[in-house]
Amino acid sequence: MIDPASELDQVLDVAIADDQVAAIGRRLPRADAEVVINAEGCLVTPGLIDPHVHLREPGGEHKETLHTGSLAAVAGGFTTVCCMPNTTPALDAPDALTNVLDRAARTAVCRVFPVAAATKARRGDEITEIELLARHGAVGFSDDGDCIASAGMMARVLTTVQRTGLAFMQHCQEPTLTRGAAMHAGDVATRLGLGGWPRVAEEIIIERDLRLNASIACRYHVQHISSGGSVDLVRRARAAGQRITAEASPHHLLLTHDACDGYNTAAKVNPPLREASDVAALRQAVVDGVITILATDHAPHSQDEKALPFEEAPFGLVGLETAVALYAEALVHSGAITWPRLIALLTLEPARLCNLDAVGLGALAVGGPADVTILDPALRWTIAEHDLRGRSRNTPFLGRRTVGKPLITIVAGRLAHGADTDRIVRRRGAPTSRRHIAP
Amino acid sequence: MAKRPASAPVTSDLLGLQGLSASALRELLTATRELATRGVKGDELRGHIVASLFFEDSTRTRTSFAIAVKRLGAEVVELIGAGSSVSKGETLIDTARNVEAMGVSAFVVRAKQAGSAAMIARAVGPPVINAGDGKHEHPTQGLLDTYTLAEAKGRLEDFDLTGLRVAIVGDIASSRVARSAVAAFSTLGAKVVCVGPPGMVPGGFAALGATVGGSLDGVLPAMDAVMMLRIQFERHGEGKTPAPAGAEAPKASPIASVREYREFYALTPERAAKMKKGAVVMHPGPINRGIELDEAVADGPRSVIMRQVTHGVLVRMAVLRWCLGAR
Repeated sequence: MIDPASELDQVLDVAIADDQVAAIGRRLPRADAEVVINAEGCLVTPGLIDPHVHLREPGGEHKETLHTGSLAAVAGGFTTVCCMPNTTPALDAPDALTNVLDRAARTAVCRVFPVAAATKARRGDEITEIELLARHGAVGFSDDGDCIASAGMMARVLTTVQRTGLAFMQHCQEPTLTRGAAMHAGDVATRLGLGGWPRVAEEIIIERDLRLNASIACRYHVQHISSGGSVDLVRRARAAGQRITAEASPHHLLLTHDACDGYNTAAKVNPPLREASDVAALRQAVVDGVITILATDHAPHSQDEKALPFEEAPFGLVGLETAVALYAEALVHSGAITWPRLIALLTLEPARLCNLDAVGLGALAVGGPADVTILDPALRWTIAEHDLRGRSRNTPFLGRRTVGKPLITIVAGRLAHGADTDRIVRRRGAPTSRRHIAP
Repeated sequence: MAKRPASAPVTSDLLGLQGLSASALRELLTATRELATRGVKGDELRGHIVASLFFEDSTRTRTSFAIAVKRLGAEVVELIGAGSSVSKGETLIDTARNVEAMGVSAFVVRAKQAGSAAMIARAVGPPVINAGDGKHEHPTQGLLDTYTLAEAKGRLEDFDLTGLRVAIVGDIASSRVARSAVAAFSTLGAKVVCVGPPGMVPGGFAALGATVGGSLDGVLPAMDAVMMLRIQFERHGEGKTPAPAGAEAPKASPIASVREYREFYALTPERAAKMKKGAVVMHPGPINRGIELDEAVADGPRSVIMRQVTHGVLVRMAVLRWCLGAR
C-alpha cells in the first residue's frame, strides 16, 4: 500500500466500511468481510485524481458525456476528475456548475468536480462571478482551450481568484503567434506544409503571467506544459518562491512531432507534440520537482471529426484509460522516478491543486473517503480499442505495448471498475458493505 | 508506394516528391523525354477512366491533366467543387469512395488542405495522383519544373543537375510548388536557395535540402535559374486558428506593401539583366504581372514559362502511365 500523504509504503491491509476507510493495518481480520480483494503483487493507492479532463457535457455529447467519461476514468484507475469549462455553453455561471454537479451525481461512476471559466463564454473580455462560482463548487478557474490573452483581464482574474484560495489554471498560448497553427513549428510542419505553433507562444504567456502575478500571488498553474523553455521559467520562478505549479501530460512525456507525420490527426493536440529535447526537459522537470502534477488533458473527439484533413481536424486525444501505463513508461520504467513518487503526482499533488485534500481526497487514511486504486505495476498489455471505455477512440497510442495497469477502482466504497477480476472474492452471508483489501 | 501486388499491374500513388529516390525521379523524367521525342501511340490507356477531383480552383493543372488523359486514350471524369466547410474531410473521403464504387482507374486530387491526397489514397484502392494539397506538395509541377530546367541546361540525357544553382523566390512558406521543386532539384544534384521576405521563408526549408536566406540581388548573378513565386494572399492566415473566440484577428497580410516587396524581390528587367548568360526564368503560374515578375521578363528571352506549361502535359502523361502500372 502506498499513501504519499502519510508517506506509507508497506504491505498492509485496507478495510472499507460504507464509503470510508475503516482500518489500515497488518493482517486485519477478514472473517466478517462481504468482499475480499486479493491485491497480491499490486499497488494499493489512494484513488487517482486527474485535474484536467474534457467530459464534453453539455453540448458535445457525441464525443463524451459525464457518464462515459467517468467510465473511462475508472477504467484508468481515476476516482476523481476535474472537468474543464469549455463545454457548450461554457461553465461560466453558477447554474452551469450546479447542472454539471447534478448530472454527474446521477450519471457518473467517479467523482467529478468542475473547473469554472474565468471569463464569460471563455471569450477573454468579461470576468465571470468568480467568488460565486467558487461557492457553487468550482475547484479551480481556467479558460482552458483558450488563453486569457489580454494582460489587463489576466491581472483582474488573478486578483479575484486569489481571494478564493483556488488556483488559476492557464492554457498558455499567445494567440497572435499561433494563428493557423496545426502542429509544432519545426521541420516536420515545414515538410508537411502545416502551420507551426512555436514554443515561444507558450513561454511568453508564462513569462507575462509570472510578472503580473508577482505582486498578486494568486496560485498559478501551467496546464499541459510542452516546451523545455517553459520548464526553465517554472523552475526559476519556483526557486524564487513564486506560487506556480505545472502539469505534464502523457503524450508530451512520450511523443514528438514525428507522430504527426503522414498527417496523423490522432497526434494533433494543443499544445502540440514537440521535440526530443522538450520530452527530456519535461521528464527531468518531473524528477526535479518542477513539474509536480500529471494530467491527461483527456480530450475526446468523434471519428468523423478526426477524419477531417489535418488542418481542420480538432486538437486533442483521449488519455484517461491509458494514462497510468504511459506515465509509468515515461517516468518509472525509464528510471526517472519511483512508483511512490508517481502515485504522489497522481494523488496528493493534484488534490492539493484543487483543494480536494481538504475533503480527504488524494490520501488513504482511516476515516477518509474510500477511494482506492489497485494497479498491477508489472502487467504487460497492448493498448487496444476495447480498452477505451469512453465514447471516443482518438489516441495515437493504439497498439503500443505497455507495462502496468489499474485493475480495480473503488469510488466511495463501491467497486466502480474491475468487478469481474478473479482477485475479488464475494462471501455470502457476510455483513454487507464491508470490503477488505489484502496483499 | 506500390498498392497492388496481385496479378494486375503494380500501381502507385504519387503524393509528393519528398522522399522519392533519384532513380524514381529519373524514371519519370526519362519517360517524359520519350513522350516528347517519340510521341504517343494514343491508345495506351484505352478503357481507363481517370477521376479528376478538384476541390480547389485550378486552370493549368486541371486542363493539363485532362489533355494528358485524352492523349493516352483514356477518359476523364471531372468533379469540381469547393467542398463544404465543416464536413469537408468526410465529404472528401466519401466522394472519393463513391467515385471508386462507380469504377475508375485512378484519381487526380487537388484540395485546399495539406494531406488530402494522402488521406484519399488511404481510403481508396486505385492510385492517387496529388495535383496540389494545400501548402504541402504539387509533385507533377515539381517534375515539369525539373524537366524544364534540365531541357534549358542541356541535362536531358541523364537528368543529373549537379553544378546547377537555382533560386526560388517569394512566398515559399505558402508554396507547395516550392516544397516539390526543392525536393526534386536537390535530389538530382542542384543547389537550391530560397529567397524571400522574412516570414515567407521558413528556416525549416534547410531540412528539405535548400539553403535559406540571402538577398535576391546578392544571389541572382550566380544562378542558373530563378523560379519566381506568386504571393498567395489567399493562403495567409487560413486554417483553424485557436485564437479566443471574438478576439479580433488582425488582417494577416503577408507583406507590408507591394512597393516594398518589389523593391527587394521582384524580377524586373533591370534585375534580369544581371543574371548570368544562359540563365532562365521560371514561374509555376498564375503570374501576378507587375508584382513578382514584370511583363518584359515573363515574356522575354530568358523565360521558359511556356515550356513549363507544355511539359506539364507530357509529365502528367508519364505520371499517369507510371501510376497505372503501364510503364
